[in-house]
Formats: sequence, C-alpha cells, structure tokens
Amino acid sequence: MVPWVAYLNHQVTTEFEGRKWDLPSRVFARALELYPGAPLNLRDLELELRLAGYRRGDSATRPGLYRVSGGTVEIYRRSFRFPEGAEEARRIEVRLAGGTIDRIRDAASGQNLDLARLDPAEIASIYPLQKEDRTLVDIGDVPPLLVTGLQAVEDRHFNQHPGIDLRGIGRAVLANLKAGRAVQGGSTLTQQLVKNFFLTQDRTLARKFNEAIMALLIEYHYDKGEILEAYINEVFLGQQGAYAVHGFGRASLFYFDQPLERLEPQQIALLIGLVKGPSYYNPRKHPQRARERRDQVLAMFAETGLLSAQEARAARDAGLGVTERPRTRGSRYHAFVDLVRGQLAQVYREEDLRTEGLRIFTTLSPSEQEKAQAAVAQGLRQLAERGLPASLQGALVLADVASGEVRALVGDRDGDRVGFNRALNARRQIGSVIKPLVYLLALEHESDYNLLSRIEDQPLTLQQADGSTWRPDNYDGVSHGEVTLLEALTRSYNQATVRLGLNIGVNHLLARLDQLGVDADVDAVPSVFLGAVELTPLEVTQIYQSLAAAGYSVPLRAVLAVETAEGGELVRYPLRMLPQPRREAISVLNYALTQVVQQGTASGLPALLGKPVTVAGKTGTTNDRRDSWFVGYTRNRVAVVWVGNDDNQPARVTGSNAAMQVWARLFRELPLEPVDLRMPDGASWLWVDRGNGQLTAEQCGNAVQIPFVAGSEPAEMTKCLSAARENDKESIWRKLFGKKQ
Amino acid sequence: MNHPLPLLTLTLLLSACTGWSPTEPGSGPASPSAGVQTPSSQGSNGVQVFPLQNPAVKDLLADAGSAESVGDYGKAVVFLERALRIEPRDPEILQSMAEVQLKNRDYEQALNFAVRSYDSGPRVGEICSRNWRTIAASREQLGDRAGSVEAAQRASACESTPPDRL
Repeated sequence: MVPWVAYLNHQVTTEFEGRKWDLPSRVFARALELYPGAPLNLRDLELELRLAGYRRGDSATRPGLYRVSGGTVEIYRRSFRFPEGAEEARRIEVRLAGGTIDRIRDAASGQNLDLARLDPAEIASIYPLQKEDRTLVDIGDVPPLLVTGLQAVEDRHFNQHPGIDLRGIGRAVLANLKAGRAVQGGSTLTQQLVKNFFLTQDRTLARKFNEAIMALLIEYHYDKGEILEAYINEVFLGQQGAYAVHGFGRASLFYFDQPLERLEPQQIALLIGLVKGPSYYNPRKHPQRARERRDQVLAMFAETGLLSAQEARAARDAGLGVTERPRTRGSRYHAFVDLVRGQLAQVYREEDLRTEGLRIFTTLSPSEQEKAQAAVAQGLRQLAERGLPASLQGALVLADVASGEVRALVGDRDGDRVGFNRALNARRQIGSVIKPLVYLLALEHESDYNLLSRIEDQPLTLQQADGSTWRPDNYDGVSHGEVTLLEALTRSYNQATVRLGLNIGVNHLLARLDQLGVDADVDAVPSVFLGAVELTPLEVTQIYQSLAAAGYSVPLRAVLAVETAEGGELVRYPLRMLPQPRREAISVLNYALTQVVQQGTASGLPALLGKPVTVAGKTGTTNDRRDSWFVGYTRNRVAVVWVGNDDNQPARVTGSNAAMQVWARLFRELPLEPVDLRMPDGASWLWVDRGNGQLTAEQCGNAVQIPFVAGSEPAEMTKCLSAARENDKESIWRKLFGKKQ
Repeated sequence: MNHPLPLLTLTLLLSACTGWSPTEPGSGPASPSAGVQTPSSQGSNGVQVFPLQNPAVKDLLADAGSAESVGDYGKAVVFLERALRIEPRDPEILQSMAEVQLKNRDYEQALNFAVRSYDSGPRVGEICSRNWRTIAASREQLGDRAGSVEAAQRASACESTPPDRL
C-alpha cells in the first residue's frame, strides 16, 4: 500500500508542478494600418474585419463589433498588445470614398486621426502535441462570481474538505438511490482536477479509489487557491476540431469572443454549466439544453445568495450571447504557417513553439491571402473547363516589393488542405523565367549591349560534356534572324538567348543567382540559360523581389517579431537591405519586362487585368509543357505563380495559358501602383529611332523612348535630330542675344 | 568659331527625361568622420525640393525619434519600419533609418539605407547632404577611406543649387 501511495504521490505532484501547462503559440497576421489616402474599399475592409473576428451589428457598442452606414464604417477596435506597446480599445470611424480612406475619426471625441490600426487577426495556433488549447488565467484576475459560483454548483464544501467530501458522496448516493439512476456526482473539484489531469473515462472502482487518494495528496501538498487556479485552467470545456478547449480563459474566448473578466453573470453561469458535459450542453449545437442548464446554474446562484433574485431573473432573460462561430476557426492558412515555422526553426525548437505560449507577429495579409487562395482555386477550375488537365496543381507567393514581407502563400489548389506545400517545397524547372537575368548581365556590359543591340536568333548546335549535341529550338519552331535584345526578351526567343548567354558565360549567371540569395544546385551547362534549373516558387519570388525593388534586395520575411506570453521581446526580424550592384541595369531591365506585358509573350495580361496599370512580368514554360510559370510585379506587389502536375507529366500548359491566368485573377483584386520607371543615377531615357536605333528627337518619325545604361547610348544620330539641333542652336542664339539672324 | 553650345545642347537633351544629376565631387573640405554622431544636425543651405510628407507617418517618426534619443534603437527601428510600410520610398524615413543604424553601429545597413534614400530622394539639398554624410561615416567605419572621402565631397556638392531645367 505504501509504495503504491508513494507512486501516486509522485505522479500527482509531477503532473501538478511539472506540467505548468503547455501553451500553444499564437500566430498573428499583420495589423492593418488605416490612414487617409490608404487604398481600401468597403469590401476589403469588411473582409479584414471579419477575418480578424469582428462582427457586423446595428451598433458598435462593444469591442469586436462594427457598423456600416453608407460609406462610413464605425469600428469598436479591441485592445491589443502590439510589439511596440499596448493600445486600448477605441471606437473609430473610417470614411471610404473612391477606393481609398477619406477620413478617420475618433468616435468619442470626433477628432480626426492621421493614423490608426486594427488589432491583427489571430490566424493560427501552434498547439501542444496533446492537442489542447488553453489561455491561462491568474486566479486573481478571475471574476469572483466564477470562483464562488463554481463552488456553489460543483463542490459546496470545497473550502472545508480534505480533497474528498464524504457528506457530498453520501448525498449523491441517496439522490441516486432515490432516482434509481446516477443523477448526482459526489466528486469534489479536487477529484475532478485529478480526472482532468489524467484524462480517463475509466469508471472502475479501482480508478475511483486512486483518484480519491490523489485528491487527498494534492490537498496535502497545495493550498486551495492553487488547486482552484489549476482547476480553472485545466477543466475541459469544449472541442474545436481536433483541439480540446481547456480552462475558462480559453472557453470564454471560444464561446463569447470576450476575455473572462468581461463576462456577464449569465455567461459565467453558462460556462460553469458546461463542466457537467461540454458536448451534451454545447451551446452552439444544443442551445435549448445549454439554456436549461444555464438557468439551473443561475437558480443555484440565487439559492446560495451569489445573485439577488432580481439579478438572477435579469440574467435568465438574457440570451445565450454565444458567437455563431469561434473567432479563430482553429488554424487557417497552413501553407503560410509552414513558412513561419521554417523561419522560426532557425531559432526555436519545435517543442518550444508548441508549449511556450509565444506570440508570433507575421506579415500575412488575411484579405490578400483569401484572394490568393480564391485565385488559385478558381483559376485552376477554369483551366479544367477549358480542357486543361483536372489534375493540375498550383502554388502562389505574394510579397510586398519594398519590404520583402510575404503577404500570402498558397501551396495547394485547395488552400485549406494540409499537406505538400508546393510554394516552399516543389522544385521545378523554371524555364524562361530565368531569361531576364541573362539580359541583365548583358546590360551590365554597357560597352557591348543596350536594349536595341542586335543578336542572332538562328539555329545553333552545342557540343555537351558527354559528347552529345544540344540544339535549342524556339517555342514557335521558327528562327527569327537578327533581333534586338528587347525583342528577344519580350518574345522569349530561345536561340537568341542562348547565343547571348554564351557571350556572357554560364558561370556568371550562376554566380548572380547565388548573389540574389538562391542556391541553384546545377552544373554550369548552357541549358541553364533556358531555365534548366530547379527552384521553388518562393526562391523565384526572392529573385524577382530584387528586380521589382529596382535592385534593393531584401530577404523575404514571414515573421516580424516573437514575444513571450507575457509580452517580453524574444526575437525581432528587422528589415535588412542588400542593394545589388549595377542597379541602373536593373531599372533598364524593368522597362524591358513591362514590354513583355505590352507587346510580348504576356500581351494578353492587360485585358485579363482589366485596369490600366503598368505591370512588368515574365512567362515561363518548360519542356513538353510540364510547368507553367508567371512572375509579375507592380511597384507595390510581386507574385509568382506555378502550375503543373505533381508527377511532372506533360500538362499542356504554357506560362500565359495557365499561371498568368491565375496571377491576373489575383492582381485584378489588389490595389496596384504602376511599376516605377524613373531611372536612377547611371541610366537615362533617350529618344531613339525605332527602326535603326539611332538617337533621335521626340518630334522625329519613328521616335520611341528607351532607357539606356550610361555608356551604352547609341553613337549615331538621325538626320532629323541633327536638323533639330541646328534649329535649337539658332533659337538659343535668339534667346541669348535677342536678335534675328 | 569654337563655342560650347553643341555640348550644352547635347547635355540638355541627354538629361531631358531624367532628374537632375548632381555634379561630380568638387574639393570639399569635410573630414570623413564629420557628423558620425549627428549627421543630420549640420546646417544646410541646399534647396529642399521633395513633396510634403504623408501625415500618417508623422507620429511614427516622432516616436522613432523619442526611442532613438533614449538609445532604444531596436524600438526606433520598429517605428521606422512601420512608417516604411506606409511610405516605402520616403527619403526622410529611409534616411532616419540610416541614421539610427549608424548610431546602432550597423554600418552596412546605415550605408544601404542612406543609398536607398538618396536614390529615391531629390538628390539635392539638405536630405542629399545627410545621405552622403551618413554614407561617408559608414564607409569610413567599414574601412573604405577613399569611398568615404568621395562621399564627404558629394555631401558638400548637395548644398549647391541645381541648374534650372529648360
């Protein structure tokens, strides 16, 4: 007997002290910044509010509610502890007009605000392995009615008994005998705590006996306050998917979307009533049962004097107040959270993420993520309707250009599916998506190349290391003869690109990939010029972030900061800028990539986009049409889309017939800023003759504006320009000396 | 007759579609370490030609300034990043970031943000000279003496009024 008690003693104290509860980490989206002039329409604002758990009502009387009236949205913003400080709950009015925020006011004072922000959506929790969800509360912060009410309902002699309550048991036995079935339990809160600790439904006498011994041992070791706090945080109160909701702190958020200290008496009664059977009395599934149970509890509150008869009546008249759905539908956006875990894995052990209750602040934009998932799902469905394989899969990465912050990530055509994450893990040949780098390297040789330099698009045969020969073909099977760099890039000619690449050197191309932060594990063979390099969509996004930001590379980020559960700063991932060399050549290349969309392989894009905004992009298709890529960017957003078959079978896809369609579906839903085509130091726009590439003047025939890297400008000028200069000379003489000549 | 007009005309044509480019460095007397501590506090007689700042970032810049003044550079960076999320190419915010990085002795990032600010800024006037003073100080700390001297000279060149465009 003694060794047995010693064993139980060890078990129960280990559990009580050692556990200290595993707390899931909470993952937050980026906080939406609101300021006059910010691009935002009503639909997107409501989407953001809904995804952050706000509910629309007739009035915004409590934190978490909003009201729409005409173009004005009144939001009762919740309090939130941001990494740089806490902000109190506050009512704000946001007036929208013409796709932007027109004015923001503090609803209480009527004062105009220059800047406000929403509390971020909680997008996921990284749960302990035993799948428990919990928000810890301190016994000191628990409403007194919960503490006393719990005892009134579950264990009236809690303060006197030593862990088991013989009187309670006696009463229960009598009541059960009278009823002829089990209607009352005699378990104390301490016994219930033991039961919850060891999670067993076993009802044998031996089990009950063990529980009783353990309850006595707990009471021996710990005081009543500690036991009650443990109970309040431990008791099982509901189920959300695979995750068990433990403790009143989490249950309060789960059922009411309110912190425990804000609950009304009837809400406290409902939670206490749930202890008896969280699924039987589930207020969302069985509101009538839950109501009856709640009213029983309220009656006990009144009977024991915790509420006056009048208070109890008022509480009974109130509705359940349970939200239709829990604010966080468990975890969303698994693909993005994979990226978060990946970034954090460099610092944290998986176990810490699951148990330390960390607060993780990320870059995700919930509205853009929803749009991205919809674009992939609907886009692929539409492709199937047009006769492309129904087996097609897709991936998408969307990032903010200047900061490299990942705003959305989709790893499967079904955005909610948990599984293979193609955005992070599918390594596929990138095809022509690599070509802009070949042309970039050429433009950096300003004494040899500019966008109008001519190269041969002619068949060529290359001897490979293994003795075999390689003869690259063009997509259309035609060689186009002498073409400009601009034409060869915008129309994605293979033969011209390989010739150009051979002049540059494949090692230079691989070195550049490396410099852009991409580890391309590939032999230095000429087929690399045509994209025989396997990269993930995320890696391709990193490359194009550099281009889109005019050479100001920043490492892509999904996590901004991590805090402890109490708000202490643990780690921060600041913006780090890594400027590329020869940024003037990148700016010139950016112009060329806008021409891919204007008149090249992506010329179908403007119609799909349906709005007049300058976009740069590049299509990519691999051998036998296995992979479809589209990379495109504006000044504010860069996104990469991949479409193909998981088994790498021919998919009848091209860059423009598949991935570009998905890309356009997303971008037509986003507020866009046109690509920035101002040239930095070291490059400038010049008027040139479209036919012969000579310098010319704006008013001359065939004149077009093209950017040139300094030192690459055409040496010759058109007759029209010479004549114009003679005229200018004369007119300047006239200006200077004020006389006719 | 030999006069400079063809050359002038060509220069004007070449610059017709671009912003004004600063003149080449002259013989500035600035010492490379001048303004390491307070690169922005030096006087300026240059011309400020950049548009007004978005009021949304005003308080954030003030908060960053407060954090910086008590030496909490980490927090200053958080405020500045938030401001950059709203106005990613604002030369004032980028330069403030460069100056915080400089104080925080992250010379590489100080250099990079200052270059970014110069690129997206007016390339003349007060902000331009702050850009080049930070670049000079960072380069010096990174061991690039020649680059530092050149940057200091460009800082002085920012102060001169640019020629009007025709």
